[in-house]
Amino acid sequence: MNIQKLNVCMDILKKDLGEGFVASCILTTEDGQVLVATDQANIAEATLLNDATALIRNALKTYPAELGQYYYIDVAGNMAILVIPFGDYQWTITVNKKLVKLGLLLNVVLPAIINAFEDAVVS
Amino acid sequence: MKKDFKLIIDNEGLENQSATDAGGRDELQRWPLFGLSVGSFLQVIAMERQTCMMEVYLDADHWGHFCFVEGDLYDAVSGAMSGEKAAMEMISWENVRLNIKQILNTTGLTRKIDKNLMLLLMESTRLRDEGGDDENQPDPEVAEDSEDREVVADHADSEKLSACLNIMVKDMGDALTAVSIVDVGKGKVLASYHTAPETAEAFSGLTNFLQSAFRENTQAVLGDHLILDLKNQQTLVLLLFGEQQWCIVFDNVKCTLGLLRNVVMPKVIRTFNEMK
Repeated sequence: MNIQKLNVCMDILKKDLGEGFVASCILTTEDGQVLVATDQANIAEATLLNDATALIRNALKTYPAELGQYYYIDVAGNMAILVIPFGDYQWTITVNKKLVKLGLLLNVVLPAIINAFEDAVVS
Repeated sequence: MKKDFKLIIDNEGLENQSATDAGGRDELQRWPLFGLSVGSFLQVIAMERQTCMMEVYLDADHWGHFCFVEGDLYDAVSGAMSGEKAAMEMISWENVRLNIKQILNTTGLTRKIDKNLMLLLMESTRLRDEGGDDENQPDPEVAEDSEDREVVADHADSEKLSACLNIMVKDMGDALTAVSIVDVGKGKVLASYHTAPETAEAFSGLTNFLQSAFRENTQAVLGDHLILDLKNQQTLVLLLFGEQQWCIVFDNVKCTLGLLRNVVMPKVIRTFNEMK
């Protein structure tokens, strides 16, 4: 894990999302400890989503299917949460869905930040 | 399922029109469109990404309007009601007259409706059905097996759910991997396609977990959908409306997420709404 590259990931994210960026947090999946978080990050929420990911993986086993690169949760009001589980880490990103179109988020921003995240994790 | 619509535009044929109980000719001329349900017209405007005001007239005491900005439903007003409440009220109206006005300047518009139009329409249908439950006592559970489809619901819902599944199977073809429709409150699988009951129940459990975790630990409230990227080019979309949860798994190369959200699901919802 390269912390500097992890911070670069956050910078890319903020730049790409602009005003649509709300908060972000990267934690370890094993113990739910936060590695990097922005000011507005909701740590409790990010930790709960760590548990949610485990539930999703278990639910998918019954299909059977496996979780891919991300999942997206719509939240009532203006927010939405994008979760990127990767190996021993999980990146949670909260966006203002009124300012970030879903297509832009999933097709443009996501591929860019996933590459940067993978690079930071394996470094 | 075919339905013959009579659509009159630009006031043609008003002389012979008796479908409304509106007052005089002048009153009718203000709302020159009729023959389509409110829900159908809303979906057309949303799909065409229009910025406009859709006026709805039921009678002299019941009228209002919807505001769209680039196909997104921003607001609705009916009498003293506004926002989602007004929208739900007007969606339930039948035999209405309509008018469309362009909105040239959207700067002063405030968005009061956050819910996806599709989900508002489904919620409206659900409420209408619940209202009609007193008249139609639910039959004992009816199970209808047709090849891979399985629909287990009360009689009123079983036809609708079966029709909805049929549309998805036809429109998505081999892109559709699995579907399950669950009553989250009762933990009951209402309909399924290539989905084992334990899978449907597992996702119902996931929704319950997220809803209670959000409620108890954060200030956020779970919205109306989840999108899960799966391996092998599959996507799972989980739609929540009222007590129902629709879980749809599909091949995202053969059918894009945009196609599902903007074409297939509106058609499914339209069918769901139009079936009595």
